[in-house]
Amino acid sequence: MAGLSFDNYQRNQLLAERSKTVPQATSTGTTIVGVKYNGGVLIAADTRSTQGPIVANKNCAKLHRMSPKIWCAGAGTAADTEEVTRLIGSNLELHSLYASREPRVVSALQMLKQHLFKYQGHVGAYLIVAGVDPTGAHLFSIHAHGSTDVGFYQSLGSGSLAAMAVLESNWKQDLTREEAIVLASDAIEAGIWNDLGSGSNVDLCVMEVGKDAEYLRNYRTPNNREAKQRSYKFARGTTAVLSQRVLDICQVEEESVDIELEA
Amino acid sequence: MNGIQVDINHLKKGEVSLGTSIMAVTFKDGVILGADSRTTTGAYIANRVTDKLTRVHDKVWCCRSGSAADTQAVTDIVQHYLELYTAQFGEPSTKTAASIFKTLCYENKDNLTAGIIVAGYDDKNKGEVYSIPLGGSIHKQKYAIAGSGSTFIYGYCDKNFKEDMTKEETINFMKNSLAQAIKWDGSSGGVIRMVVLTKDGPERLIFYPEDYETL
Amino acid sequence: MTSIGTGYDLSNSVFSPDGRNFQVEYAVKAAENGATCVGIKYKDGIVFAVEKLITSKLLVPGKNRKIQTIDRHIGCAYSGLMPDGRHLVNRGREEAQSFKKTYATPIPLPALADRLGQYVQAHTLYNSVRPFGITAIIGGVDDEGAHLYMLEPSGTYWGYKGAATGKGRQSAKAELEKILSSKPDLEAREAVKEAARIVYMAHDDNKEKDFELEMSWCSISETNGLHKPVPKELLDEAIAFAKAENGDNSDSDDSSDDSDNENDNKKKDAEGDVKLE
Repeated sequence: MAGLSFDNYQRNQLLAERSKTVPQATSTGTTIVGVKYNGGVLIAADTRSTQGPIVANKNCAKLHRMSPKIWCAGAGTAADTEEVTRLIGSNLELHSLYASREPRVVSALQMLKQHLFKYQGHVGAYLIVAGVDPTGAHLFSIHAHGSTDVGFYQSLGSGSLAAMAVLESNWKQDLTREEAIVLASDAIEAGIWNDLGSGSNVDLCVMEVGKDAEYLRNYRTPNNREAKQRSYKFARGTTAVLSQRVLDICQVEEESVDIELEA
Repeated sequence: MNGIQVDINHLKKGEVSLGTSIMAVTFKDGVILGADSRTTTGAYIANRVTDKLTRVHDKVWCCRSGSAADTQAVTDIVQHYLELYTAQFGEPSTKTAASIFKTLCYENKDNLTAGIIVAGYDDKNKGEVYSIPLGGSIHKQKYAIAGSGSTFIYGYCDKNFKEDMTKEETINFMKNSLAQAIKWDGSSGGVIRMVVLTKDGPERLIFYPEDYETL
Repeated sequence: MTSIGTGYDLSNSVFSPDGRNFQVEYAVKAAENGATCVGIKYKDGIVFAVEKLITSKLLVPGKNRKIQTIDRHIGCAYSGLMPDGRHLVNRGREEAQSFKKTYATPIPLPALADRLGQYVQAHTLYNSVRPFGITAIIGGVDDEGAHLYMLEPSGTYWGYKGAATGKGRQSAKAELEKILSSKPDLEAREAVKEAARIVYMAHDDNKEKDFELEMSWCSISETNGLHKPVPKELLDEAIAFAKAENGDNSDSDDSSDDSDNENDNKKKDAEGDVKLE
């Protein structure tokens, strides 16, 4: 069938009539941060994804690549952060191909904010955009309604308050790369420990002027599951075999056919 | 909505807003814009060093209040229009810039929460201030104040504003006014930013809490 | 297709092998045969003077104005097909209003000339339309001072100190060159007189019909930047000056009623057929 499908809308209407709640999209109760340092910028995120009170994924990836050297950390509606970064990333590549130039962070920012503003907040993507381009290293944040902020450090998501507490107390001017990595990871960890919506591991992406971006997946894994003290497997033979029967559930007929091949 | 009244106080859920203290004042050599730097989402300060003074042309700037997303979108469009205008006809007047702002704010009044003060300098008309409040009307003023913090300083500004002040007098007047607005308004805070617009182009100033809280 | 001609002049937007657009050239011819229009740019303004040929004795003197106002500060005079001119002026008015609406400031003359130029040029491109059969002089005052432009059927426009179109343009141009080189800083009232004199002089070259002189001006000193008709007293003064300078020839023309009948291309008047210029 051509055209738009309103099936889900009708379903939601029906559910709304019959219950007090309607289905909600998966929201990444999240901690994401971005920090600028001398000679570059980095972003970091936790890896927990939630559906209401349930952890939907213990090790999801919230850092998205928009171009080789422009990365984006996403909070809010998981599907929207995923899709909007993919869409704008795609257009960014077309633009850079057309212009024969490396894509700029401000271009990504402008395209993202115009897209999000157009959807008046219905695309629930809260993003931290960072990257390096011919004009240097940049760090921005974008809210779902399309407003943007600039700064040396940013935090977003449900764990942003915990992360911001760390950033505000430990950030200083002229950070080195190593100091920035520690600061960002600590900020994410603050989210992991103190925010219910955030948890598991720390992902990191470091973008340094004049270098390739470094994606450090699971840079910190402070929630490794301990090995079980005991095995709960039942030993072989725990259950006695009383009888055994093998059934043919289908008949197999074999026939070979010669095929003549023409030259 | 009945088409006459506008629900002006309603911010879409979770939207970032500029609960703000902003002002622009004409003086002897031009005009000065001033603003606090607080951006809020509900009770949380989303940005404590926001720049609410935005360039739309070399010597035409604006102070933004209301929804951050809306005012940024509007200023981006005005900036674009003025770039086209400059290419075709040369330097725009402050009035022209304000008129474009007004058209956007008026024609989209149902979908926007934007209170904007446009201020600029042009050689013919010198410093000018246009206030564009929520409905999209436009008011030419000697000085203008707006944002949630402005309510506290109407009296102060009325008493202390004088025409043709010097740059230093104007800066002091604005610093005092904004300090009071920030003091009494919970949605305003951070640093005080200013932009001085004269024949010599824009000049940026910044005042930290320790500079203005003790006034 | 008939066997007459090369076929390169049958449609708009078609070039001849040597790179000409015949339809546009025919349109220029239409403009060249129109009544003479003169425009002068002086110190702080501009003045228009047009030769209004009296095509019927029943026409009310002083009415049927040919010079039009595009915006409060801009006037326009043209020779050629009058309806084409009126259409162009309408378009100019729309452009001026639209500019004023978006930018809250009166349209600058270069901007208007450019927009009208583009509009006229667009009429050389499509089969569904024909070029404008007019050459228009557009002038007025804006923030940058006085401007005078002449717009041709091709869409070309140039800025002038003095411009002339229509039948008497050759001699008018020669006279404009003389005046504007000897007196480059004309005052408003001087310019009015000179413009009147030039129209009377240019008319001398082809005295076939009676005419009425129509004038308008737009200056900072005299009209506060608005485009207005030249006041009666000044117009009369200018006409008197023009007649005196031109040896009072046209005065005798005015009074001789039967001289028309001797002129063979006046037959249409007798039949009451009013031909619009």
